[in-house]
Amino acid sequence: MPRNAVGRDIPEEIGGKPLRPFQGAFATVPQGRKVAPPLKTTRPGEDKVLPSLEEAIRRVGLSEGMTISFHHSFRDGDLLVLQVVEACARMGIGDLRLFPTALFPCHQPLIRHIEQGVVTRIEGSMNGPVGAFVSQGGKLRTPAVLRSHGGRWRAIECGEVHIDVAFIAASTADPYGNANGMWGPNACGPISFSVPDSWYADHVVVVTDNLVPYPAIPAEIEQGYVDYVVTVDRVGDPGGIATGTLRITRSPTQLRIARLAADAVIAAGLVRDGMGFQAGAGGISLAATDFIAKEMARRGVRANFAIGGVTMYLADMLKEGLVGAILDGQAFDARAVEYLREHPRHLIITPGFYADYNSRGCATYMLDFAFLGGTEVDLEFNVNVNTHSDGQLLHGIGGHQDVAAGAKVTIITIPTIRGRIPTIREQVTTVTTPGEVVDLIVTERGVAVNPGRPDLAEDLRRAGLPVRTLEEMKAEAERLVGKAKKPLFGDEIVALIQWRDGTVIDVVRKVVGWE
Amino acid sequence: MELKREAGCGSEERSDALVRVRPAGGLTISVHSKTGPMYADRIREVAEGTLRALGVTGAEVEVREQGAYDHVIRARLLCALYRATGGGEAFRRPAPIAAERRGSPKGRLRRSRLYVPGNNARVLAFVDTFGPDCLLLDLEDSVPPGEKDAARFLVREVLATMDFGDTEVWVRINPLDRGGREDLEVVLAGRPHGVCLPKAESPVEVAELAGLLYELEGRYGVPWLTWIMPIIESPKGVLAAPEIAAASERVVCLAFGAEDYTAEVGCGRSWEALLWARSGIVAAAAAAGIQASDTVFSDIEDEEGLFEETRRAKDLGFAGKGAIHPLQIETIHRAFAPLPEELEWARGVVQAAEEAERKGLGAVSYQGKMVDRPVVARAKRILEMARTLGMEVGDAA
Repeated sequence: MPRNAVGRDIPEEIGGKPLRPFQGAFATVPQGRKVAPPLKTTRPGEDKVLPSLEEAIRRVGLSEGMTISFHHSFRDGDLLVLQVVEACARMGIGDLRLFPTALFPCHQPLIRHIEQGVVTRIEGSMNGPVGAFVSQGGKLRTPAVLRSHGGRWRAIECGEVHIDVAFIAASTADPYGNANGMWGPNACGPISFSVPDSWYADHVVVVTDNLVPYPAIPAEIEQGYVDYVVTVDRVGDPGGIATGTLRITRSPTQLRIARLAADAVIAAGLVRDGMGFQAGAGGISLAATDFIAKEMARRGVRANFAIGGVTMYLADMLKEGLVGAILDGQAFDARAVEYLREHPRHLIITPGFYADYNSRGCATYMLDFAFLGGTEVDLEFNVNVNTHSDGQLLHGIGGHQDVAAGAKVTIITIPTIRGRIPTIREQVTTVTTPGEVVDLIVTERGVAVNPGRPDLAEDLRRAGLPVRTLEEMKAEAERLVGKAKKPLFGDEIVALIQWRDGTVIDVVRKVVGWE
Repeated sequence: MELKREAGCGSEERSDALVRVRPAGGLTISVHSKTGPMYADRIREVAEGTLRALGVTGAEVEVREQGAYDHVIRARLLCALYRATGGGEAFRRPAPIAAERRGSPKGRLRRSRLYVPGNNARVLAFVDTFGPDCLLLDLEDSVPPGEKDAARFLVREVLATMDFGDTEVWVRINPLDRGGREDLEVVLAGRPHGVCLPKAESPVEVAELAGLLYELEGRYGVPWLTWIMPIIESPKGVLAAPEIAAASERVVCLAFGAEDYTAEVGCGRSWEALLWARSGIVAAAAAAGIQASDTVFSDIEDEEGLFEETRRAKDLGFAGKGAIHPLQIETIHRAFAPLPEELEWARGVVQAAEEAERKGLGAVSYQGKMVDRPVVARAKRILEMARTLGMEVGDAA
């Protein structure tokens, strides 16, 4: 089995498809051309509106073995994936490949459809129960494939994944297929995750619960790509967007980590006019961003731009003039959606704009610094965001790889102990993001600087910050909690973790026992 | 050791464990761990070791834990057994000490004293990383009456296990006549640097505490003198502050607690209302050659207010200030650091004094003001503080 550049054994092929092992963050030189969707036409007067999902499924000829795609802009409030899968189940269509950007705990009922063979393959993030179910092994016909936001765009564009039917939930749409997530009673923020789906899928169905007269503005999804428009009672619950820790943390330990992360950014001289940064939505990232915002205000410094996941905290920075523009791929709360409507420099961007490897420029490459999280890190600075130390696949990649690869200084914030499980490992359970693109790891016990960045170590030491080695912090944590028993992995691969260029950085294997 | 009844201790909150013990023929231990198989065997070993050390041979033990560390599980089991057996000599043996700890100098920096509730496993999980000058593990006001015993064991295990680095660790016990003696019996085995005596009103209590410490240090092999920090929180306490400060060589610092004081006096919390008490405490401490530490600032959000109040307290002569949240520590430390202009002044004064001495001049002046010995001493103290804090001081002596 070939070993990739982060020391993981990657099979040469799976189900007849060859796998390319990860060779380094920017090693791949793309070859060939983009794929193209079929040519189609719509004549004047033709009506695109259909009365039901079933009717749309019939019209597009959705059948056994096909691939259907979705966005996750409603996050844990999505109502479309299940409506479509259930309609397929009723119509006797099985063996589907699901290609969502991400699944959430609300999609737990999918498990039944996987068990019954309606869904047999999944390529997309699985946050929570569906991931846990797939981790058990033997559930999907081929291993799940996890990609970053940029990686998914690339996979569509180069033909690695062919979408038969794209279903696009829109909080507002017109009868001609123009659609957005900005307006309507269930507005969810950008739905630009579905833009490549609309461009490349054989068939495109916009699903809305708020049909407005032509034209729906803005047209995040454009009429020229849309075959049909279906109205349903509800496409999603915007209340489900704000799940997880979208508030500034009050936990002393998390605040300490945030403070240290912000101090590291300040010490590195990155708080200056014209800066660009990524603000995460986790409690620590939000708190760190808040500390940075205070420092910016104190010094009278303004950032040129920030990239979200956008929360009200970031939106407020735009309003206060601390940030010149927000590049928004995803809204994390209702206030972010509101600002999107009101503020001309709060822009919707697509994952291609944000993160595509096979592009001539990503927004993430313009970042000066970014705060990211993880479930584990290891002594090589590799980061795991997908699995827990017990081997369970519980999270997607999101933009983690794309941001880490792009930002000049990538900062991972992580407590050394979570629950009682130590997070600094000899080797991470799963490599999501390689250490070569990670600069700082900040814990409540100090900051570890990647040996490849002696310049940063110097800056941080001069500012009197506690620069520590990962080995030291690991030992301190383990002195308190001991080493956790490790799971034993079998041969069966339940998921592939792709690097953003399409190579395989790691595989997730089924847990068969404990050491 | 025999169990007389069923008992339990702890909770199913995050980082805590709920331990139940019942009298039984042999030993059975069941473990329900949040982390599944990752730590279940280890938790069983911890339980077995604890039972063996106490000579318990007949018990049914159930551990339900939510990511609790070993020492939390040990503390909860110890307390459950304490409750089930009614206590006894076995609970008064020295605790196995895993933490390296050195004695703490009498006059060390004590800018911040952070209170942490002694029975809150979640907060205690990271208590070794907060980094105040003085950490006060609290058995008094933050612990409800029914949980005093649980908190004692937990604080003892935290003390015995965790490495606090440069932080001086203290335990705030209950008043001696309301559980304080029992507190000492248990926690001194964990070798804290010092003990805070709340609601101190007379030198007699301090002397009594010093006697108890002497006895327990012998029993538990504590290799240093355990310091005492009386907390003055009543008008009576303020009036007796000079005697309290001088009651024992162990007293290194007088702390002010404004909450009870304002209630008893019937005054507000304004600076003016508390000025007399603050000044009295500072003067009493200074007269005894020890430090004084100001009351806590209770609005966690108001960083600026905390900074201001700390600067004023420092100006009054306090060497430290109380904190109720780890985030306040940095602000307090910042407030105690000499300002650039203070440093410049101190450097100038010391240089002028040295020059005068070299030239054999009696009278010295700096920036047109007379510099006499106390002024030089104050300047030297500022430079000393700056040096301790690792600030750039220059070549002034």
